[in-house]
Amino acid sequence: MKNRKVKAKRTIIARRKKCKASGAGLSHYIFQDKK
Amino acid sequence: MKSYFNTGKGIQLQPIDIGHPRYFGLVSADTAFWSLIRKDRMAYALARPSFLETYRRKEKYFVEEMNTLRFGRKPFAVYFNPTDRCNLNCPYCYIPEKMRRHGRNMPSFKMLRALKILKSYFRQTLPKNIKPQIIFHGAEPMLNKETVLEVIRRFADDFQFGIQTNGTLLDAETIDFLVSKNISIGMSLDGHTEVVAGRLRKTWDGRGVFSEVVSAIRQLRGYTNYSVICTVTKENMPHLADIIEFLHEEKVPVCMLNPLRCTSPASRPHKPKDSRFAAHYLKALDRSFELYKKTGRRIVIANFANVLVGILAPSARRLMCDISPCGGGRCFFAVSARGDAFACSEFIGLSRFKGGNIFKDKIKTILESKAFKLVTGRKVENIHPCAQCAIRHFCGSPCPAEAHQMNGSMEKIGAFCEFYEEQVRYAMRLIADGKEEGFLWDGWDKGTSVSLEISTL
Repeated sequence: MKNRKVKAKRTIIARRKKCKASGAGLSHYIFQDKK
Repeated sequence: MKSYFNTGKGIQLQPIDIGHPRYFGLVSADTAFWSLIRKDRMAYALARPSFLETYRRKEKYFVEEMNTLRFGRKPFAVYFNPTDRCNLNCPYCYIPEKMRRHGRNMPSFKMLRALKILKSYFRQTLPKNIKPQIIFHGAEPMLNKETVLEVIRRFADDFQFGIQTNGTLLDAETIDFLVSKNISIGMSLDGHTEVVAGRLRKTWDGRGVFSEVVSAIRQLRGYTNYSVICTVTKENMPHLADIIEFLHEEKVPVCMLNPLRCTSPASRPHKPKDSRFAAHYLKALDRSFELYKKTGRRIVIANFANVLVGILAPSARRLMCDISPCGGGRCFFAVSARGDAFACSEFIGLSRFKGGNIFKDKIKTILESKAFKLVTGRKVENIHPCAQCAIRHFCGSPCPAEAHQMNGSMEKIGAFCEFYEEQVRYAMRLIADGKEEGFLWDGWDKGTSVSLEISTL
């Protein structure tokens, strides 16, 4: 609950993650690969 | 370092209304940088040098990242049609009716030859530790089942295989085989009841196939590598939230609620109105979150999750429709039952977009063909109004096939601009409220690292 209150007060939220791109799906299909 | 914005060489930042009570979005469109700023503190945030300087330090990297994602990829997957034919006659299909009704199967010896050609090509272009993907697509690939299964057996060490099927021909033995080989299975189902599902997805003699597909879904229960695609049309649009509830109850792990593609003229009478579709779609997203909160089990709506991932980690997106240029012809390409190659399955049936034939032409030549360049050269910077749109790299203005066929050229938008706007706005509201994880698949950020994080009180 405390965390939620802190989140609500944040003035700026910005974040981004990076990785090597490997997506090859399309609207007709998404590759599921869970082992 | 100067921290000006929106003048001279300064950072370009566009405010966007995301429909949140407390936050605005602030986006630098070219780099797909986004931030959420409290509405009552916008001036304060922009006046803080640390905010703009943090972004400025990363800007060059973000430009490179987007360039690599948009222009630096190599094909990694092939959508392969083992047959032209289908046992269903869905009016929104992008494959022409004549082809689906009277087309041919690719003979076994030809399909084995095709896979050898593709294996040889990918050996030259991909690192050894990466297995390319072959996705059997259609039409209905199970109409050439014996050949498909033979190919999977023979090339199991060379490719990751997937299959998109209407599910009507999946018997227990076939399912056991596909599951034993860890094949990624996609199935198509357009409704939560026989009536809704059968409005457009029918056999040639007009019979719905709901019970057969649900039976296959039940046989797959517990298998994690499958998903259900629901094509959204005017006919099933009002039921999207109920469809999500039904699929969740059936323990389907992942689904897509994709609007029909308007590439074929026969599909267009079934096109849902953009704004009405968006409203029903957002209700379905809400319902998926309610179900998650209630049961602790998610049903991921993958086409939305992909938009969300495209915001949080642009290079981690899995679907390559909503980035510009799209993935057609550069991340994947399609091969028809005759061996003809197209940038995407969506173009099968449009001879102008045939880039060559894999039995006659080198794949490298096909990828560089004029037909492929028409698709790979389509980018948002050349499309009105996308060129000015703040969210152009969260949407990508899909799809080139429908833009060309329905709206007249590659420099036109696709069919569902407003739908994408609403998805991005919804995604940003989720991030503002810290709810985004409830909409993403487990491990969505595996292999990622943080490139920027600002959280200012």
